Amino acid sequence: MTQAARPRRDRAGYLFLLPWFIGMLFTVIPFFASLYLAFTDYNLLNAPQWIGLENFREMLQDPLLRQSLKVTFIYTFVSVPLSLVVALGVAMLLNQGIKGLPIYRAVFYLPSLLGASVAVVLLWKYIFGLNGIVNAFLGWFGIDGPGWTSDPDYALTTLIILHIWTFGSPMVIFLAGLRQIPGMYYEAASVDGASRWRQFRSITLPLLSPIIFFNLIQSLISSFQTFTQGFIMSGGTGGPADSTMFYNLYLYQQGFSQFHMGYASAMAWMLLVIIAAFTALNFLAAKYWVFYDN
Amino acid sequence: MTDRSVKPVNRRDAIRMAGLAGLGLSLAACGRGFGGGDDEPAGGAVQLNMVWWGDAKRAEKTQAALDIFQNKHAGITVKTEYQDSGPYKDKLATRFAAGDPPDVMAMRMDSVREYADRGALLDLGQHTGAVDLSGLSDGARTLAAVGDKTYGVPAGLNAIGFVVNKTLTEKYGVPIPDGNTWSWDDLDAFARDVTKASGKKVYGTHFDHATLANIIVFTRQQGEDFYTADGALGASEATIAAWFDLGNKMRADGAFPPAGFIEDVGSSAAQSYLAKGSIAAQIIPTNNFLAYNDAAGGNLALLRIPGETQGKRRGQSVDCPHLWSISAASKHRDEALKLLNFLVNDVEASKATGTTRGVPASTTIAEQIKPTLAPEDQLATEYLAGLQKEQLPRSFTYPPGSSKIASSLESLSAEVEFKRQTPQQAAKAFLDAGRKALGK
Repeated sequence: MTQAARPRRDRAGYLFLLPWFIGMLFTVIPFFASLYLAFTDYNLLNAPQWIGLENFREMLQDPLLRQSLKVTFIYTFVSVPLSLVVALGVAMLLNQGIKGLPIYRAVFYLPSLLGASVAVVLLWKYIFGLNGIVNAFLGWFGIDGPGWTSDPDYALTTLIILHIWTFGSPMVIFLAGLRQIPGMYYEAASVDGASRWRQFRSITLPLLSPIIFFNLIQSLISSFQTFTQGFIMSGGTGGPADSTMFYNLYLYQQGFSQFHMGYASAMAWMLLVIIAAFTALNFLAAKYWVFYDN
Repeated sequence: MTDRSVKPVNRRDAIRMAGLAGLGLSLAACGRGFGGGDDEPAGGAVQLNMVWWGDAKRAEKTQAALDIFQNKHAGITVKTEYQDSGPYKDKLATRFAAGDPPDVMAMRMDSVREYADRGALLDLGQHTGAVDLSGLSDGARTLAAVGDKTYGVPAGLNAIGFVVNKTLTEKYGVPIPDGNTWSWDDLDAFARDVTKASGKKVYGTHFDHATLANIIVFTRQQGEDFYTADGALGASEATIAAWFDLGNKMRADGAFPPAGFIEDVGSSAAQSYLAKGSIAAQIIPTNNFLAYNDAAGGNLALLRIPGETQGKRRGQSVDCPHLWSISAASKHRDEALKLLNFLVNDVEASKATGTTRGVPASTTIAEQIKPTLAPEDQLATEYLAGLQKEQLPRSFTYPPGSSKIASSLESLSAEVEFKRQTPQQAAKAFLDAGRKALGK
């Protein structure tokens, strides 16, 4: 290769990178704009007014913000572990060498693709409606089902069930992880007389721990950012009685319905801090339970 | 590399072309996506951007009126955009924030001051020569007045009314009370009878406690204003508590369906529980009477809201489904005013739109188009004409912050419905939150 040819080839490389650079512009500019807006009073119609830490001070005294944090935390800390357990369980079942694995894998994965889509949440609403399939089923056993989506005591539970149902994407990753574990470990363990449970605890879990860790972080982050389910299920209100007022839904309401964009930006940055804190905690804890091979 | 040195050049050119083409496409797509109004047609013609919310049926009727307008004004084209009311509200706010407001827009009653107080809307009082409002009654003309300024013209007039499904009441043999003089107790007794006679297959009535239009009527019947002239909350704690109490009482004695029975399934007439036949009566906006009548099988009676003759004063008011407003920053102010004047004062335009946005705001136009309307719409028009002849207390524009009030009413209604708070607790919480939202 001649010296002259190199810059030319580099240029082609940069050209291929161009879409990324353009994409970054659309990320970096809003990123800094929102950081600035977090310290302003901005009603969308007039120029933002610098108010320093006022938005953050207001957040400390906002009962609805506390409610939205509560909803988001309950949702995350209940549904993430449960969906990972279900995902791992189903992945292990599918890893038994059954026939038609690709079909099962696709069927279980499908809800993850559709999970937060408008159509599925609406469908979910009908399934769990007062006269929906779930209550009809409970009716066979003489149980009077509640208003799964209209009763403030049940609405969040319904959304948690929806989340667990979309266990497909961690499952696919677990499945790939399980296939990486050499079969000879299990053979050696059975020769030594280890039970299935013992094999699971001493071979599967440790060797799978990096995958579990990855899935945990992924699910936590996406679950903190939940929006669509709450928005569609409640018609954008976070109701009934604020029981599905997710943090991001409240943020959206503040920004676009109540002309309180500075406050919404401050909320967005608070969410960033919360997610970063939980991710950091996880990485710290990972030292004690995540084992890397070799 | 000698004989291959030609090929990389071609390939690189091809890449460059492809890259540029891709970039061009994506930029063009952005331009469209942001709904800009800058793509002017050539030849000095003006393009107005008009946005509103509604469904396909309303779009068809609106377009018919706009076609007439464009025929009359060769130099002006009107580009419309519409969507459902929820996303509309958010999109409108975003467009103003982006410095790209539409020229003419549908404006919610509860948002008009959010925009007007911040200087985003044109004061139509300064342009009385361009838009003739002489055909409007005082009540209609002042709907969007703030002080001595006017920020919108009612796109039509409506009120709320009580509809009763006569097919069901006849089936169960329950007589309908006199809709002009009935009380809230009469409603309760009537609804209880329907529920009982149908063996709970049909519940007598249900109306939403979180709808501002409903609670406003009730508040006025107690002799108070929900919103006062200076934009504060005028309702007392006792009145709000009585409103919540009313629902609890009716739910307890079977006039209302049990808590949780009514779910948020969508706002159209066809999706309503009235249309499904699971309740026999409810409150509707009168401009939707035709749609509800169609959806519920065509045998609805239109009554007034109960308590009008028992209360301290009349509670009903003449309102509008939405206003037409013009952006203060519109580059085509004169043309926008022309369009507004056309929508308000042109008979052909009102014939084309019918009552999709209520009865025409101008009483003279309303009289002229009435014979061309469907029988249901004629009935709704008469209902409204009757109201306009009465001494009704004036409505005041919703102060900024009222969207927060609407949402706190929404969640507190559910709290009361599920007995998580007593009506007294909820009333107190509502007033506390409301005063904080209004800063008064």
